[in-house]
Amino acid sequence: MNLLSVEHLNVNFHFKKRELTALIDVSFNLKRGERIAIVGESGAGKSILGFSIVNLIGKPGYIQSGTIKLENKDITKMNLRQLQEIRGKRIAMIFQDPMMTLNPVITIGDQLVETIRSHTKINYKDAKNIAIEKLRNVQIASPERRFDQYPHELSGGMRQRVIIASVLLLNPDIIIADEPTTALDVTIQAEILQLLLAICRDNGVALILISHDLGVVSKVAERTLVMYAGQIVEEGPTLEIINDPQHPYTQGLLNALPQMALPGQRLNQIKGSMPSLAERPSGCAFHPRCPYATDKCRTQQPEFIYSGVSSVACFMVEDMLSEFSQDDEGSL
Amino acid sequence: MTHPLIQISGLEKTFSSDTGWFGKWRLPGRKGRGKTDQIFALNGVNLTIYQGETLCVVGETGCGKSTLARSIMGLDEPSAGEIHYLDQRIDHLNNRQRMLFRRRMQMVFQNPYASLNPRMTVYQTLSEPIAFHNPQLSRLDVDEQVETLLESVGISANSSDRYPHEFSGGQRQRISLARALSVEPEFIVADEPLSALDVSVQAQVLNLMMDKQEEYNLSYLFITHDLAVVEHFANRVAVMYLGRICELANTSTLFSAPKHPYTQALLSAIPRLDSTAADPIRLIGEVPTPTEKPIGCVFQARCPYANPRCYSETPDMTLQSDGSSVACHAIEEGRL
Repeated sequence: MNLLSVEHLNVNFHFKKRELTALIDVSFNLKRGERIAIVGESGAGKSILGFSIVNLIGKPGYIQSGTIKLENKDITKMNLRQLQEIRGKRIAMIFQDPMMTLNPVITIGDQLVETIRSHTKINYKDAKNIAIEKLRNVQIASPERRFDQYPHELSGGMRQRVIIASVLLLNPDIIIADEPTTALDVTIQAEILQLLLAICRDNGVALILISHDLGVVSKVAERTLVMYAGQIVEEGPTLEIINDPQHPYTQGLLNALPQMALPGQRLNQIKGSMPSLAERPSGCAFHPRCPYATDKCRTQQPEFIYSGVSSVACFMVEDMLSEFSQDDEGSL
Repeated sequence: MTHPLIQISGLEKTFSSDTGWFGKWRLPGRKGRGKTDQIFALNGVNLTIYQGETLCVVGETGCGKSTLARSIMGLDEPSAGEIHYLDQRIDHLNNRQRMLFRRRMQMVFQNPYASLNPRMTVYQTLSEPIAFHNPQLSRLDVDEQVETLLESVGISANSSDRYPHEFSGGQRQRISLARALSVEPEFIVADEPLSALDVSVQAQVLNLMMDKQEEYNLSYLFITHDLAVVEHFANRVAVMYLGRICELANTSTLFSAPKHPYTQALLSAIPRLDSTAADPIRLIGEVPTPTEKPIGCVFQARCPYANPRCYSETPDMTLQSDGSSVACHAIEEGRL
């Protein structure tokens, strides 16, 4: 059974004069203990999707239609009290910048204890013990001393560890990590990724990793969703997506990486840039940048189709597949 | 490789926190003045940049790579050491003397949102340096140059009356590059020019930089933390740690046979697409803040191979058999 299933999710932003669409018909499932990644460039809607899952979209944004089911309970229809039961306890979030997430004027220990005590009836001493235990779990040296320190006394990597500890306090089923290592150096990034991976594996926590870095994704996630202009354009096992991308956008994204070209040679760039929400192209949103675009792509929206192991929303792949199956019939 | 363009020797830069009035203020209940905090950003950097080459400087946050770039450009005055441009010494120049060099060396900054004046149109941004450095040019000539410049970086000339906020990040970074190229420099310092951009746009800017290098025989000092870009773009790589260069080598040599323990850890930490790559080498702790002048090797605290000598004696850069230079006692002694 699916732990989380998002179906036909549409998120809009409502302004006085116009309505902007941020997410269009997004559907995906997450099983217990599964690690998935959402990949895309800035403006693709990956963070909006992350926020929507815990219904944190603030005005002027709102969930226009669709369902987000956490074990058959629809998050989109919950009131604030029900949401507070879920946020943190069932689904926890890790954000990009640890300095922004931690309160600078409260000690780390008090922030952790506050989190525990706001969700469970427990005295300060017991809560403190749990907090120190969790700090030890994320490999923070001398957690008793760190407990009384303020966020500014810690380095960036250490702060992100504290955040991960705080997320673990309530033993959530799902962790949503929104670019958790983007603000960190490579050596620290590698450590934090290993930690996150180990924690998810050991505790059977499902992970939704939001990232723009395909290298990071390939280290952590089992399954990957590629987003472009508010839509999922490709979904499949991470290795499959990296080794055999189907959608022209995924292909372009991978080909644009410096390691894909010979040293000193020109890189394979994708022309143009991601459209803004207000200037969404008709038909397939990728068609102005797509080398294979046809008239059909300019007018019609491609459906999500299943091709082998991954699913793709692209007319070219669809045509290729139907030709393929016709050939098969002919030969029979 | 041809002639050395820039030679840096023994460059040091110390930042002191005692410059503001607040630090001199006597707070009630506190005796004496506040303690001066010093940050030793550069601790004796020796580096040569050759004509027409791309030298990448890599390192983690706080290793002094941006300070190095700013010192070369004269934006920060070095505390000690010398910088030579061809055969002229260019540190400690006053503004008037530096003007001659401003034409020859330019800089592209990290954040294209902050480095373009939001109140100037693209035309104003680009025409100002052209008109300033070429007072003999007529208005029409300047217009024409701005137009060709914009077209050459892939931005249509009829958008020259638009303001920076009307462009995307990649376009802005291309305008920054156009501004740097407007005075026809020989040398461009690029301080993390790609880090604010998306992957597909990064490729566009990097391609443009390579095209321009070929066109004008430019030399680049390229500062970055993205090792994939380095592997693709650089001729030579300098790895920095706590204000010192710990390894300097040709790109292919560095990536195939990294020698310094720090370089090895850094390279192993890159998240690569192929899943077969080995686990990253774990370093103990994080980059310390250099509030004290380091004694011995700068990497001692995190190095798995450190011995007493590393804590007392500073390793010098020594030339290796494959042409790379490494500053490490362990390699010198054959322990590694």
